[in-house]
Amino acid sequence: MKDVLRILISPVVWLASFSAVYALHGFVCELDPGNSEIGISWIRIVLVAAFLFAAALQIVLLTLMYSPRFGSAPGFARSVSRASGWVGLVATVWTLFPTLAISTCAG
Amino acid sequence: MNALARHRKLTAIWSSEPGWKGWFSTVNHSDVGRMFIVTAAFHFLVGGILAMLIRAQLATPHSAFAGPEIYSQLFTMHGTIMMFLFAIPMIEGLAIYLLPKMLGTRDLAYPRLTAYGYWCYFFGGAMLLISLLFGIAPDSGWFMYPPLTGRIHSPGINTDFWLIGITFVEISAICAAVEFTVSILKYRAPGMTLAKMPVFAWYMLVVSLMILTGFPPLILGSILLELERAFGMPFFQVELGGDSLLWQHLFWLFGHPEVYIIFLPAAGMVSTILPVMSSTTLLGYRWVVAAAVALAILSFGLWVHHMFTTGIPHMGLAFFSAASTLVAVPTAVQVFAWIGTMWKGSPTLRLPMLHILGFFVTFVIGGLTGVMVAVVPFDWQVHDTAFVTAHLHYVLFGGFVFPVLAGIYYWLPLVTGNRRFFRLGEMAFALIFLGFHVTFLAMHWVGLMGQRRRISTYLPEDGWTVINLISSVGGFVMAFGLTLVLIGILLNLAVRHRARRNPWRSGTLEWAIPRPSAAYNFASLPQVNSREPLWDNPVLPAELARGDGYLGDAATGRRESLMVDIATGKPEQLVIYPANTRLPVILAAVTGVFFVSLLVKIYVITPFAIAAVAALGWRWVWQLGSRQDLGDQPIGHGVLIPPIAEVSRPPGWWGSVFLLVANATLFGSLLFGYAFLWTIAPGWPPPAFMEPSLPTMLAAAGGVMLAAGGTAIAVRKNQNGSNPAVAISAALTGALGLVVAFAMMLWNAPPAAEHAYNATIVVLGSYGLFHATLTSLMVLFLLARQRAGYISQRRRGELSIVMVWAIYLFVVTGLIILAVYLPGLVG
Amino acid sequence: MLDPAGPAAHSIATLWWVMLITFTVIFVFVMALLALAFRPAGSGLVPAFAEKVWIIGLGLVFPAVILLGLLAYGLWIGERLMPRAGAEVTRIEAEARSWSWRFTYGGDASRTTQNVLHIPAGRPVDIAITTADVIHSFWVPRLAGKLDAIPGHINVLRIEADIPGSYAGLSAEFSGNGYDNHRFTVIAHGPEEWQRFLEGDQ
Repeated sequence: MKDVLRILISPVVWLASFSAVYALHGFVCELDPGNSEIGISWIRIVLVAAFLFAAALQIVLLTLMYSPRFGSAPGFARSVSRASGWVGLVATVWTLFPTLAISTCAG
Repeated sequence: MNALARHRKLTAIWSSEPGWKGWFSTVNHSDVGRMFIVTAAFHFLVGGILAMLIRAQLATPHSAFAGPEIYSQLFTMHGTIMMFLFAIPMIEGLAIYLLPKMLGTRDLAYPRLTAYGYWCYFFGGAMLLISLLFGIAPDSGWFMYPPLTGRIHSPGINTDFWLIGITFVEISAICAAVEFTVSILKYRAPGMTLAKMPVFAWYMLVVSLMILTGFPPLILGSILLELERAFGMPFFQVELGGDSLLWQHLFWLFGHPEVYIIFLPAAGMVSTILPVMSSTTLLGYRWVVAAAVALAILSFGLWVHHMFTTGIPHMGLAFFSAASTLVAVPTAVQVFAWIGTMWKGSPTLRLPMLHILGFFVTFVIGGLTGVMVAVVPFDWQVHDTAFVTAHLHYVLFGGFVFPVLAGIYYWLPLVTGNRRFFRLGEMAFALIFLGFHVTFLAMHWVGLMGQRRRISTYLPEDGWTVINLISSVGGFVMAFGLTLVLIGILLNLAVRHRARRNPWRSGTLEWAIPRPSAAYNFASLPQVNSREPLWDNPVLPAELARGDGYLGDAATGRRESLMVDIATGKPEQLVIYPANTRLPVILAAVTGVFFVSLLVKIYVITPFAIAAVAALGWRWVWQLGSRQDLGDQPIGHGVLIPPIAEVSRPPGWWGSVFLLVANATLFGSLLFGYAFLWTIAPGWPPPAFMEPSLPTMLAAAGGVMLAAGGTAIAVRKNQNGSNPAVAISAALTGALGLVVAFAMMLWNAPPAAEHAYNATIVVLGSYGLFHATLTSLMVLFLLARQRAGYISQRRRGELSIVMVWAIYLFVVTGLIILAVYLPGLVG
Repeated sequence: MLDPAGPAAHSIATLWWVMLITFTVIFVFVMALLALAFRPAGSGLVPAFAEKVWIIGLGLVFPAVILLGLLAYGLWIGERLMPRAGAEVTRIEAEARSWSWRFTYGGDASRTTQNVLHIPAGRPVDIAITTADVIHSFWVPRLAGKLDAIPGHINVLRIEADIPGSYAGLSAEFSGNGYDNHRFTVIAHGPEEWQRFLEGDQ
């Protein structure tokens, strides 16, 4: 069971953080807190922070997959769980980078 | 005992009743799998005829063949039947039939549940077909967007048929998914580690987990929409605090994973068949498994790409556009792993391979047009045009029908024991392939020219006449090809022309069973040391028939199999299955009475139906277990393991855990809906929040703590050998107290028809009430079982099952109390 | 949409042609690999590839590069098509119902037209779309993509016609029996004609 969980965890955490950032986006757009002192909207600051947090989480997970203590024993489960760890990280960067550049709320 | 005597003895134990009566009482996976496949094929025929009617209508402009009232039913039912009554049940049927054979075991985890799922599918499908026969079928498109499907714009019974019939059918999908998950994780041949599982089992494991988390949003959406239609609870009515977009989110939260739920089993078949056709092993097994897992989970982050034109801010669209392009990467990994496999081996153009080539051509095009529509601005243009219809047919026909046809031809000798002798199949393939591409390439084109989907006719001035005619001709060619397939299969069944035992020289275990397949699959269970046991040991079938494996003596006269450790495949528990029974079909019929009472709105019957379901459910679980400790049992080769009644994690525990995964997703979707309405719907905040009620909160908190705590203490006491009766009684008191608390909450709830907030509160309270009642029944059951002597220090499994449900009740009660009262406390 | 007559439709049509050409090349490439799998053994026609080449090279890197490029291109176009504030922009309200469209100009409830939308040519126009009953969708294929009319929400679509003329408009979300003919017409006017329309001469 633990091997199955190790294989699933990183992509599932991606799914959770992806959905959470999307929800957060809907929520902050509704609140519309305006601009910060440095001229960037609070919305973007919040979303980018969430993105970076999600990416950091994935890096932690990936490190765990490679650590001898938390990773699977050598063999099939280890290579699949490491691959899915990379999937989680790449997916997080790939799907959440729009927080950096795309216009935030409806014009 | 020689092999023939063993065969006779095992057949007597495992086979269903002879004749047609056996259909109603069989719980054997081979029987039920075949019933699923035949019923799904029948629905495919009906859906196909509807498709032909659609193409006949669109072949010429100004068509008067069907008016818009009939035409809307045609396309709605075509989509609905193909998705819900053909594709998913076909997968279930194939997997029910094949999985135990591939995993080297004798049946799935819950044989009676297999049969119950089938009958739910059968009755639910019949409901929809009857509506079609009487011309009162659903007519709002297969994704049923409100407000068009609301009471005001669709007052007839048509929509109710969809919402209630499909929910009924979905029970079978959830049953099958729980069953597959537990079977693949726990019911395998000894020695079959995760890394040695046939790749199809990996795909089905992933798909089952997807069904458990993908279907609940749709089930919830259907319940909410039916509540709105029947009782005016305005979840989707914007004037009363609802929002029609909520439906789209719930529907596509299901709908997108659905596409991959259909594709992945087919990909699993390709991964199984293609290496055999190339006389080699799959290239990059680990990578393919990782890609399947990645694809499955990524597919849950795509749902908004069906909603690019609903006015969501561009950043929101960008997230989903990015995710939708990303999902093409693991797909590409699989495609290139397959092509690499062919390079590695020496592919031959036998019939299953032809269909796999058809799959490659079609699916690659479908995948590429899929990437096109993932690009937001392009989707703004082609959304809801024939281009999208064409794309989805490329994906579903290419990604599902071709592999399934390959699979049918591949496994047909296993089912019938016969081989083909006419070359009908090759002819059929040519017609299908040609007809398909003519039909749907033309449809891409006409979509780009501006033809919207779901129009019933068009004008000669539109300039689409020739293309539509070509498309229709192609459609009929394809239909002719599919008819030839059917004829070929019937001939194969009818004409005895014996095939060799393993005609494709495959390495997986399903080819080690007797030919034609026997009800018990394996006379004794093999010890597995690699992914291709038949290649390691070509005489394995004979050894198994001789009884050299595990459980070879058939001494007890019971249906027996093994449960193993998930990772290592070491035997852990001796499974004793229930035998033939009519309980599943009766329970499904009573479940049907419940759904029909909702459909025809005769609500007096509903409580009786629920009570009957509960009573039959009680009987269902009462039949299991034993009144005495049997102790560890020998399974051959000197191994002793306990029977399932004498372990702390029996099959019911595993089933409960995965059923609760689905249940939690349903509850999570409800909370999502609540939060969504709160932030997005225009009519919020509601006029008044629910007044916090201290007595209700105290009763709920006290009740749930007593229920969960009492169960926990009962588990502990039983473990230590003392009598758990008092603790169980305390748990019962707590659970009943919680029932009262939720009843109080509902009693004090504001009128549900006035605002979506009120309606949400009522649904949350009802969810709590349902689970409190269910847990009360379970605890009551424990008490009765304890009295009747079914529970002992060794026979502890039932206690641990109820513990799982009690913990779940504890968590949801807390969340419901917060969701219901927190706004009132804060605001 | 293959015959664009406005900036939004132009950029989407270009996007389509770029994708069509790229994907045709990819399709031919994949089919060639598939066909080569049937090359006679030992023909030495093409060397066999290692597992890494198939999985990492072709499976991961190749699609990732193409997809990221396409994604960036698509998002860049999407950003340009967003309705942004500007002095030149005309705003018109569109309300759909089963099965007609009503357009209101300049926020003046008495200044409306049925099933005919008048816009100035060569200038950006924002259409604020909503509905009085079920979901519909506002679509003028030759000018821009579509945007849904959703109860209780107002969605804004930027359209622009290059030259004066008449353009077919459609509702593109199934809405029941009258869906086939749920159409409207867009008439784009030159500057003087537009001024006259605004003053109420039409």
